[in-house]
Amino acid sequence: MVGISSIGIYVPRSRLDRALIGKAWGRKQPPGEKAVAHFDEDALTMAVAAALRCIGDGDAASIDGLFFASTSSPYREKQVASYVATACDLQRTILTADFGGSVRAGVSALSAAIRAVQSGAAKRVLVAVADCRPAEPEGDLEGVLGDAAVAVLVDAKGTLAAFDGAAAVAEEFTFQWRTDRGGPVQMQDARFSATHAYLRDLPEVIGRVLNERGLGTDQVAALAVGHPDARTAQDLAKAVGVDPKTQLVPSLSAAIGVTGSPDPLLLLGAAIERAKPGDAIVVGAFGEGAEALLFAAGEAAGPGACRPSLQSAIDDKLPLPTYEKYLKFRRILGQDDTPVEAVSNIAEHREMQQDTRLYGSRCAACGLVQYPQARVCLACKQREGLEPVKLRKRGTIFTYTMDHLAANLDHPMGMAVVDLDGGGRVYVQTTDAAPEAIQIGASVELTFRRLHAGGENYNYYWKARPA
Amino acid sequence: MSTSIRDQVAVIGVGCTKFGDLYDSTYEDQVCDAAFQAYADAKIDPSEIDAAYVGTYLPHSQGGKAGISLADPLRLYDRPVTRVENFCATGTDAFRNACLAIASGQHDIVLVVGSEKLKDRPGRGIPRIGHQILGKGNTAPGLFALAANRYMHEFGVTRSTLAKVAVKNHWNGKRNPLSHLRMEVTEEQVLNAPMIASPFGLFDCCPTTDGAAAAIVCRADIAKRFRDDYVLVKGAALAVATGRPYYDPTFDYLGFRSTQAAAKAAYAQAGIEPSDVDLAEVHDCFTWTEITNIEDLGFFEKGQGWKAIEEGKTRIDGSIPINPSGGLKSFGHPIGASGVRMIYECVKQLRGDCGERQVKDPEIALAHNVGGPGAVSCVVVLGRRD
Repeated sequence: MVGISSIGIYVPRSRLDRALIGKAWGRKQPPGEKAVAHFDEDALTMAVAAALRCIGDGDAASIDGLFFASTSSPYREKQVASYVATACDLQRTILTADFGGSVRAGVSALSAAIRAVQSGAAKRVLVAVADCRPAEPEGDLEGVLGDAAVAVLVDAKGTLAAFDGAAAVAEEFTFQWRTDRGGPVQMQDARFSATHAYLRDLPEVIGRVLNERGLGTDQVAALAVGHPDARTAQDLAKAVGVDPKTQLVPSLSAAIGVTGSPDPLLLLGAAIERAKPGDAIVVGAFGEGAEALLFAAGEAAGPGACRPSLQSAIDDKLPLPTYEKYLKFRRILGQDDTPVEAVSNIAEHREMQQDTRLYGSRCAACGLVQYPQARVCLACKQREGLEPVKLRKRGTIFTYTMDHLAANLDHPMGMAVVDLDGGGRVYVQTTDAAPEAIQIGASVELTFRRLHAGGENYNYYWKARPA
Repeated sequence: MSTSIRDQVAVIGVGCTKFGDLYDSTYEDQVCDAAFQAYADAKIDPSEIDAAYVGTYLPHSQGGKAGISLADPLRLYDRPVTRVENFCATGTDAFRNACLAIASGQHDIVLVVGSEKLKDRPGRGIPRIGHQILGKGNTAPGLFALAANRYMHEFGVTRSTLAKVAVKNHWNGKRNPLSHLRMEVTEEQVLNAPMIASPFGLFDCCPTTDGAAAAIVCRADIAKRFRDDYVLVKGAALAVATGRPYYDPTFDYLGFRSTQAAAKAAYAQAGIEPSDVDLAEVHDCFTWTEITNIEDLGFFEKGQGWKAIEEGKTRIDGSIPINPSGGLKSFGHPIGASGVRMIYECVKQLRGDCGERQVKDPEIALAHNVGGPGAVSCVVVLGRRD
């Protein structure tokens, strides 16, 4: 059965305690925390992180499609799906597309991936969904929005969840938006928008998809729906006719915030983690209409369905010490480090395998794995027999420094020499770390991050973070 | 195999500007001040100079690019003038090339000038160079700190030992009228200074400095024409290792093989052992660097150098005085000038001209630069004439 066979979850480590927002503005905030993309993260890097987790140790070579979905792509013009596929070292002969427009994009991309596999256009499609939507400081959404990513693998097996039907409606309704002028998410009256659009469209598509399968609402094990806030999700459950306490997958808003396009798929992951094989799960999203997909939990559903589990992704966190740090990390205050020249696309093209796919060289004569890619072996000085070798993304810090001289939005800048499992030594910035976590002997993983901006473009490279 | 340059080349004159924030002098001013001091010291007319080498690391609009940046201010035309650049070994390598030019028989008298104008540059004088993506975030202190942290981890050394290097070199530099930071510091001050790149605080780092130094070398057999107390070049060797040690999975980060190789070659040329050296000017760009240097140069076993610091063996009155000038730490580090400045100090020490900071009756002095970090090292051994 066509469906979902793997789920990778990525929640950025930084958390902003909403009390800090309340303290900054003297306004009461909802309890809990919001997940905040680090200063070197964006929707692209978070999508890579979720996609790598989704692939895990599985067969990346047979993935023949990648869809990226986000309302906060770092690029208006330039395909991110292709970049994510390259960073994940996928094949070149794959189908890729970017989805955006509204927070419905994640469900739209999943729906499209399912259709692609059903039609035979592709066999294994990775859907990588990420958002870090900007909120106006002191605005109503500041305490609500959070950042996260999720990636799901769609194939003909659907071991986690088999696709069982879909329904959609489309109609213009202005609720939340950002124009081509950028800026934070804008919002019309929340109550009216909920009652006259969100609570109209989603119950309609959910009802339709259930009817088509002859399922009653009492047969729904879990309803995983994107929502503008936790209360509206409760209202939706009531409107659909399911029990908000037992059938609605609880909102993540208190723990990480309302994450936009990944939200319904994160909730779907949570539902699959709790499901028994055969359970009916509905996932839905709203945005200028709505779409609902029906799944039947597969044999592999249950604990361990997501990598890592949603709860452990939520628990893996570092508190932001101040509200001001949040303003800086999200570029609401201050600037990047010293602007640099644009990186030449000639050099970038030449080094794509080395810098983005992260390949080093292995010497056939002596076996030494070395990075960057070598022309002559570092150890045995042979020129012949050096072959490209993909480096692992886990390793151990051999030595490091915390550099206060280097310009960095997260000050000071950690620089680490890391011996990778399986060979190769890299020298990279550290990130997502309490200063004391960067130590000789510490286990780290490599994570794809925005390195700098220059010449009106972004550059990405690998950094190390505590594993 | 090659023949040694031992005793074939003599240093007959040296000059050195005040090192520091020379906001009121240009690159050309510095070059002229150092070179004309050396002319006067050698009692030589500039017309007698056959060839010249200039060491600069960061040429810019204010000077330092190509040999002409030396020739023009000095009006030294119609003869070869060559610029040498080799990371922090620039100055000693310029000197080495001058010695080779004489030893080859090509020239009789050669001028060497090292000069750097860092204070005219933005970004604390030192730009980031190299690959735009790989290694982004590296700084000079950060690169040496990688080695320091590994060394400290391996041998159980604390920042307090590093601080003692700064305390010693500032004590020496206070007694040197030309040094940049002419002040003593306490261990407590060093430990409490703002962090630059862990484990280095502000006083673990050499300053960003302007300055120039010059030396005039000639065939040893004609040196007596200029002065009786000339100094003989006993050895001058350069060695390189990888410029990206952080990518070398076989590197232990406990010392610099470029220094070890250059020292071995220089001692062989000189026909001496490390224990024959009476004083050394070594590349203390950061406090830890001095510790590894005195091991890599063979004065102490690997992992023992830090104890020598603790025991005071490297003080002016110790068994092997290190950086009696004040070193890069106190004297300052105008990159291309530093190596030539070390030659200046060694010559002055061997002549017994150093007043309060004079090492007692030295016969062999050594100058050492290392840059990269660890990528390139140059060692020069000088000796008093018999």
